[in-house]
Amino acid sequence: MTGNKTGTKVRSEREHMKKALDLISVLLLAAGAVYYLGGSFSGLAALSSGAALYLFNIYYFQGKEKTLSAVKKYLSRLIVPLIGIAAAVVSGAVIMLLTGYDPIESYTALFYGGFVKNWYVAVLNATPLIFTGLSIAFAFKAGLFNIGAEGQYYIGAMAGAWLGFKLELPPLIAIILVYAAGSFLASLWNFIPALLKVKTGAHEVITTMMFAHIARYLSPIFIRAFGGDPATSTHPYVTWELPESSWLLSFKSFIPDANYRLHTGILIAVAAAFFVSYVLENTKTGFEIKAVGFNKEAARVQGISVGKNIFIAMMFAGALAGMAGITQVLGLDHKLFENLQAGYGWNGISVALLASNNPVGVIFTSLLWGALDAGGQYMARTTHTPNSIVEIIKGIMLFLIVAKYIYIYAARLIKKKKGGGSV
Amino acid sequence: MIECCPYPPYEGNEKRGIMEEALETGRPILETRCITKQFPRVLANDEISILLNKGEILSILGENGAGKSTLMNILYGLYRPTSGEIILKGKEISFSSPRDAIRAGLGMVHQHFMLVETLTVTENIILGSEPSKGGVIDYQLAKKQVLEISELYGLHVDPDEKIENLSVGLQQRVEILKALYRHAEILILDEPTAVLTPQEVEELFRVIRALRDKGVSIIIITHKLEEVMAISERVYILRRGKLSGEGDIKDLTKEELANMMVGRDVVLRVDKKGNGKKKEAVFFIEDLSVLKKGGNALLDSVKLDVSPGEIVGIAGVDGNGQSELSQAVMGLVKIDKGSIRLNGKEISTLSTRERIDEGISFVPSDRQRDGLVLEMSISDNIIIGRHDRKPFVRSAGRINHREIRKYAEKLAVDFDIRTPSVSVSAASLSGGNQQKVILAREFSRSPVFLLLNQPTRGLDVGAIEYIHSRIMEMKQKGAAILLVSLELEEIFALSDRILVIYEGQIVRELKTNETTDYEVGLYMTGGRKKGSLNDGK
Ligand SMILES: Nc1ncnc2c1ncn2[C@@H]1O[C@H](COP(=O)(O)OP(=O)(O)O)[C@@H](O)[C@H]1O
Ligand SMILES: [Mg+2]
Repeated sequence: MTGNKTGTKVRSEREHMKKALDLISVLLLAAGAVYYLGGSFSGLAALSSGAALYLFNIYYFQGKEKTLSAVKKYLSRLIVPLIGIAAAVVSGAVIMLLTGYDPIESYTALFYGGFVKNWYVAVLNATPLIFTGLSIAFAFKAGLFNIGAEGQYYIGAMAGAWLGFKLELPPLIAIILVYAAGSFLASLWNFIPALLKVKTGAHEVITTMMFAHIARYLSPIFIRAFGGDPATSTHPYVTWELPESSWLLSFKSFIPDANYRLHTGILIAVAAAFFVSYVLENTKTGFEIKAVGFNKEAARVQGISVGKNIFIAMMFAGALAGMAGITQVLGLDHKLFENLQAGYGWNGISVALLASNNPVGVIFTSLLWGALDAGGQYMARTTHTPNSIVEIIKGIMLFLIVAKYIYIYAARLIKKKKGGGSV
Repeated sequence: MIECCPYPPYEGNEKRGIMEEALETGRPILETRCITKQFPRVLANDEISILLNKGEILSILGENGAGKSTLMNILYGLYRPTSGEIILKGKEISFSSPRDAIRAGLGMVHQHFMLVETLTVTENIILGSEPSKGGVIDYQLAKKQVLEISELYGLHVDPDEKIENLSVGLQQRVEILKALYRHAEILILDEPTAVLTPQEVEELFRVIRALRDKGVSIIIITHKLEEVMAISERVYILRRGKLSGEGDIKDLTKEELANMMVGRDVVLRVDKKGNGKKKEAVFFIEDLSVLKKGGNALLDSVKLDVSPGEIVGIAGVDGNGQSELSQAVMGLVKIDKGSIRLNGKEISTLSTRERIDEGISFVPSDRQRDGLVLEMSISDNIIIGRHDRKPFVRSAGRINHREIRKYAEKLAVDFDIRTPSVSVSAASLSGGNQQKVILAREFSRSPVFLLLNQPTRGLDVGAIEYIHSRIMEMKQKGAAILLVSLELEEIFALSDRILVIYEGQIVRELKTNETTDYEVGLYMTGGRKKGSLNDGK
């Protein structure tokens, strides 16, 4: 009896200890991430020590077996994308050699520019991409292709510019309100496509695409309506600048040597990714959305409403893409200008695909995408290699991913044929 | 004479005399020697040596997946064996395509017919070997030839009719004619009876005997013991890719065949006890109609009731309204008329979800399409439908993974789901285990009413036996069970009453112990149509 009691006590002490250590590792990881994303490389040290502590915890409390299987689990998730990236890098090198550029010099510049020198540009690039990537990945989970994320991005951006300007409220409240109202409006932008999909089966690729075009070309009209004074402004294609109360906090305010443009929108984006991941893995809504996405018929037979879940997924995807636009306006630009070539919606498709629609994976693929763009510009400036090589590398990566899907699809088709073989 | 594997390669074969006897009489027309076929993951045929005599009817018996079709496809030139030889009329041959096999006098009717639905009988028969006059197909000549052959073998079918207008039995006949048109001396039939009613089976057997009398040698594949006994003279039994037995039919009993096929003693009949006093019915369907878009009825004024502890079987040929009936009960299709009541409550206006809550469980016929989300884990598949209920969900819609896992692990043991872990995807399971996942989910809800649509479709004998015993257990527990099946054997084995469905109508109600499969088959094909439900009682 007593022995049992002390046993429980010891166990619970151990458990407390483990929890405490886990908490420390998570805090280290979080702080490291904040500093690293803020452009400070000291964050990397915190990140790696956090990861090391996390693994040590597993080792200390659960033994070698568990540690190995945990390492294996994370590595196995990385292996396929890493092979894809390596293959794309090698193909890029071959192309450079064939066209007379020095791959070593170019890659050095690309890497240095993207991940070291102009890392803050990579982070800035990645911020809206994470949101649009999440939007597309989430819709994919419900079996939907939200190809019109670009349009929802514009709605979010317009809402951000308008509300950010109009709401004269204390900073935090203004920002929260802008996010709430802006993402609501962006999700409304998917209302009609969602309704058509559920009621008539009209394909979301067509409808959201059409709505994306409307939203894009609405933005110049919006800008002219809310733009700076055409008489005085040298820039008739820009709205008024937002009051500082609705700007997102900049990293510079707590990391002195951070780039002045770098804003904390990236942290919201990362939080959003973890939130989406949580919704998908740990809530009944996520469960239903996945079930509907994988197999509508089976979901229906189990009494899960296909229409309702398609609706939720479309609206939520719209809100996420809208946040990309809001973040861009509140964080980076502080105004809306006519930039129809931004393409965050389209690039969101790439990062979602590259991450196999894993929400947390989207953070990394977006950063990779952002770094490739930032590094590509640096490379083009400092070496003779043209920026287009980066686009080629991106294209090859995507191709490899799509090839993987085609492979899976084909394998399934063949299996299905075979499966029907015997009665 | 045969070096590769001194046959017979299986144990306990006391009847090896047959083989030598056959060889001595010099009648063998086709022989395989130690045929082995290795597929990437399965050894589908393992050193199989069989022998077909001229003018005999030979059965190949085996469970699903035993390797029967593979062996036949090798004979027919569709697959190349990994090793082994085929000897045709004393000469070793090697077909590189069915074309070669046809030229050598082989014909095959596949498990799934390979006819062009929109073409006529004649066109289908001549397809690929058209008689032509200066490059133009001579349809009249072809038709004459087709008529001649069908006269000769007593295989009557209208040569000008389109395939899509023919019954399954007649389509099969066209397949046979097609082989004969190409001068087949050896005819292979792969599970020809799987799609037929008892009457059609009998008709097919008559044709097969007629062919034999005309000198055609026939191999018939089946997994049904009765048929082996009824039609063939000799039998080979395959089990998991190996030859597990052979013999003359006259020397064998059904039980012996079953043991060789399954590898252990099997219970051929389920014990139908608990058939005591009939209770008041709890499930009613009245006047239920579902119309097609055009207006004709898929379900036409269906009326039935099921009592607790009773199994009511719905017998019918595929496509006579069975799937509409189950969809209507589950609320997956709009009904045009009628009422469905459970425990005195009208449920036809409820959503699928609410019907499940009222105590309906459903095992759909297509387990991969309607029964499971293959990409999701076994545990998720076990709790889907109750994923938003306690204890699987906490407040605020948060899923309780630990409870789900605990529950799934318990059911995996209860229902004998063979898997290394309940967190692997349902896709990784075999068909039988996938079906057990569905049973675990549906049966564990303790349903008042249980709707089973072809619960053992495509499964092997072992799994069928298991599932039948679980169904009987549900009956004992007092569930009212409606069993839809295309297998008359299954209907007879399980149900207390049989309703025959034909063209969307319940045309007959019969007591299982007062009828025969022959009679049921007759109603299934619309014979003795729609006498009033009450006469003959
Ligand atoms: N083309 C194929 N590729 C891989 N495996 C196959 C193929 N065809 C059949 N199999 C496998 O070989 C085994 C025997 O199948 P089959 O000959 O169709 O059995 P049967 O006709 O006796 O039901 C099964 O396990 C089946 O999955
Ligand atoms: Mg077969």
